[in-house]
Amino acid sequence: MALLEAEHLSIGYRTRKGLLRAVEDVSFSLEPGGSLGFVGESGCGKTTIGMALMGLLPANGSIFGGELRFKGQNLVGISDERLQKLRWKEIAMIFQAAMNALNPIQRVEDQIVEAIRHHEPEVSAAQAAERVSSLFSLVDLDPERSRDYPHQYSGGMKQRAIIAMALACRPDVIIADEPTTALDVIVQAQILAEIRRVQKEMDVAVLFISHDIAVVAEVCRHIAVMYAGQIVEQGTRKEVFETPAHPYTQALLDAYLTIEEENATLPRAMNGESPNLAAPPKGCRFYDRCPHADAQCRQEPPTWISLSPTHKVMCYGPRS
Amino acid sequence: MTMEIRRYILGRLFQITLIFFVILTVLFLLFRLAPGDPVSRMVDPNMTPEDAQRLIEQLGLDLPMWQQYLIYLENFLKGRFGISFHYGQPVSEIILNRLPNTILLFTSSILLAAFVGVFLGKIVSWKKGERIDTWVTIGALVCHTLFLPWLALIIIWVFAYWIGWFPLTGMISAEIWTDPSAGLLRKGLDIAHHMALPLITLFLIHFGSYLLVMRSSMLDTLREDYILTARAKGLDEATIRNRHAAPNAALPVITSVGLSLAFSINGGALTETVFTWPGLGRELVFAVSNNDYPLAQASFLLIAAVVLTANLVVDLLYAYLDPRIRY
Amino acid sequence: MKTGNEQRDAFAAPAGRREWLAGGWALFWENPIGKIGLILMACFALMAAASFVPPLLDPMYHPMHGVDPEISHATGPSAAHWLGTDFIGRDIFSQLLAGARIAFMVGLSAAFMSIFFGTLIGMISGYAGRFADTVLMRLADMVMVMPTLLVVLILSSLFGQLRIWTIVLLIALFRWPGVSRIIRSQTLTLKHRPFIEAARVAGASHLRIIFRHILPNVLPLAMLYMTFRVTSAIIIEAALAFLGFGDPGTVSWGMMLQWVWKTGHMFQAPYWLLPPGICISLLTLSFYMLGRAMEEVLDPRLRKEGESD
Repeated sequence: MALLEAEHLSIGYRTRKGLLRAVEDVSFSLEPGGSLGFVGESGCGKTTIGMALMGLLPANGSIFGGELRFKGQNLVGISDERLQKLRWKEIAMIFQAAMNALNPIQRVEDQIVEAIRHHEPEVSAAQAAERVSSLFSLVDLDPERSRDYPHQYSGGMKQRAIIAMALACRPDVIIADEPTTALDVIVQAQILAEIRRVQKEMDVAVLFISHDIAVVAEVCRHIAVMYAGQIVEQGTRKEVFETPAHPYTQALLDAYLTIEEENATLPRAMNGESPNLAAPPKGCRFYDRCPHADAQCRQEPPTWISLSPTHKVMCYGPRS
Repeated sequence: MTMEIRRYILGRLFQITLIFFVILTVLFLLFRLAPGDPVSRMVDPNMTPEDAQRLIEQLGLDLPMWQQYLIYLENFLKGRFGISFHYGQPVSEIILNRLPNTILLFTSSILLAAFVGVFLGKIVSWKKGERIDTWVTIGALVCHTLFLPWLALIIIWVFAYWIGWFPLTGMISAEIWTDPSAGLLRKGLDIAHHMALPLITLFLIHFGSYLLVMRSSMLDTLREDYILTARAKGLDEATIRNRHAAPNAALPVITSVGLSLAFSINGGALTETVFTWPGLGRELVFAVSNNDYPLAQASFLLIAAVVLTANLVVDLLYAYLDPRIRY
Repeated sequence: MKTGNEQRDAFAAPAGRREWLAGGWALFWENPIGKIGLILMACFALMAAASFVPPLLDPMYHPMHGVDPEISHATGPSAAHWLGTDFIGRDIFSQLLAGARIAFMVGLSAAFMSIFFGTLIGMISGYAGRFADTVLMRLADMVMVMPTLLVVLILSSLFGQLRIWTIVLLIALFRWPGVSRIIRSQTLTLKHRPFIEAARVAGASHLRIIFRHILPNVLPLAMLYMTFRVTSAIIIEAALAFLGFGDPGTVSWGMMLQWVWKTGHMFQAPYWLLPPGICISLLTLSFYMLGRAMEEVLDPRLRKEGESD
């Protein structure tokens, strides 16, 4: 049984200008111990999915369609109590811009211990502290520094501490939302390696969210490319990278300059704007920016085409 | 204590000493240079000519300015502030007698206002937009803009005069304090009884601003990332607000208390005057009305010292509570 | 998540002065606090303007010198005297109106002066930096620690009875530090903006840069803080008058309260005790509300959270 399954999931935000359809009819699944990455530009809905999983949508956000199943149970409309029990113990999250994700006036160890003892009250303070020590070692942090305050850590250390905290209750899934965005390249590579290692060692499933397809590819065996609230292409890492079918995926990959041939060419810049999610176009949402679009694309939204058992794309004219 | 925090404390101590020193000097200059005869400000006009002459020599009033200044400083450090024109007693005795009364009233009113303000501000921010939030906020705002002496008069009128639960004036009841059998508890309760109304007056004026600061601070804090983390950890709302949001939100309130200390001491002086509470503020007002210069000057200096010390205390408290400064 | 359009709107610079003013006014009017504050203030302004009327009607209505020939003690409200008379037979209502005039005068001039000093010092401090900055800010620290009321008290002991304009000046001299800090930090951020650098490269003198480029940008903030300064100025003047150190030639609300108190009428004459205090509080409240409403308009971060997040 899949650990996490979304079927025709739709999420929206109520705003002054109407319902903003941030996530439209999205379906995916995550196996235990697996890794799935969501890639897309800001505003494509990937963070919304992550938040919805944790039940952390803001007050004006809600799931208005479809199902979101975790271990077989539908998360849509579950009670707050059940949700609080689920959080961290079974699904944990590593946030964007982790710079301020730790309470500045509480010691790092105390914050992790709080999580542990909240979900496992039978654990004593001493035992919890020990667990923190081993978690720190796991993420390559000096256990001696666990009693420090967050501002005494560097950016990379903070992120490791946050990973350690996410693992504290041995969850089944970790949602990592842009965990490396605010870090410099070298630290970024270290953190990604950390996540990969931790995933293997603790057999945790990872849902990785990022705007950077290369980062996603480092960690995830499966990739889902998102645009304007929809998944436009889904497949294994190899398939998406080697045979990208959707023009958007191709553009994302094109944006990475690689000097493979003798004449490296600059990628074509995408013109056009992202669609207004409060009043989405009736045809394909990528129409404005697609170099291959035609009249049919504008009139009717495309449907899924399966290129392989694991690879599918939502487009009229898949080009490999 | 780390090196940084020690340096910080020393730095602040140096700063307030410097400020106090400047005030001392400015006061010296003002008293000497203001229009009128400076001698009449130092020497009681009712003194006999011989006593007056002796005092003039003691204070060095016939010497050049810079020498006077040194004598002035020396006198200050030795605690010699002259004789009060009005009371005929050494000024230092009078102001030291008044000091504890002011500190008692001032400190308890600020502490009470701060605790209640922070507590209510926290609660009201949870219920943002609801009826209770609107009413409490309006109430706090109205209290904050009430004119203190007027509020004091009304309170005296209602509670001391009309209902009669509290005494009209003063700090102590003579009967209790002259009674040899009266114990400490009884005397303490008597003071508390007298202090109730001035305390409430000061409290009402001040708690409003602390409440409003705490409320907006909480609303800001609740938007921070670590609150999202706390929620993601599965903690319940009460824990999030009390353990994560409130302690962070309370820090700006402490700063706000520090910034408004000067304003608070103004209120303290007014309150003491209306309630005839024998404190430094009242003494200052009294001395100025009576042209009792030595007493006025010394009262002012001591009040300035109290405000500066209070500022230091607040700064240290903040440094202690915010680990980002301590470490 | 915001789309590209919305994200851009959130950070757009004001389209043009006029649209910005119009939009700002609409936002201000939406806010009930701003509305109430403005209405209250208008009432008091009306009172202040009306204060000239009673003495013209009958010399006995003059707030300071007018004495009812038939009454020479405190009486309650009556047809001739809407709020009654004070201890020597003067009409309380006309005193109240005169007090409104004094309050506005004191409040606005003291606030204006303190903003003037504060803005000037803040701009110089932020722009010049280093030595001037340190010295000025140290000075600000020192002045800020001083309890204004008590300082004016000491000064009045030295200089005798203070006239109203001296009081106004003294209040202004001790209330500028707060605004100077804000202006200073605003100046600091502006100093590094491209348009300032461009002006410097173009050869503009420092003075010109300060007054032609920085001043217009810090002015809205200065105006905002002026409203808060008005409230403290009114309160300090009232407190001074209450204690007996005000200008004996002016009838302010604080002075009225002093008379009630000192002549021992506080328990018997609610018609005399209540109105001045209520007026001080309401006027203070109205300026405070105005300030808060303006704050929402000027500081986009404080705008209502009704937008999508």
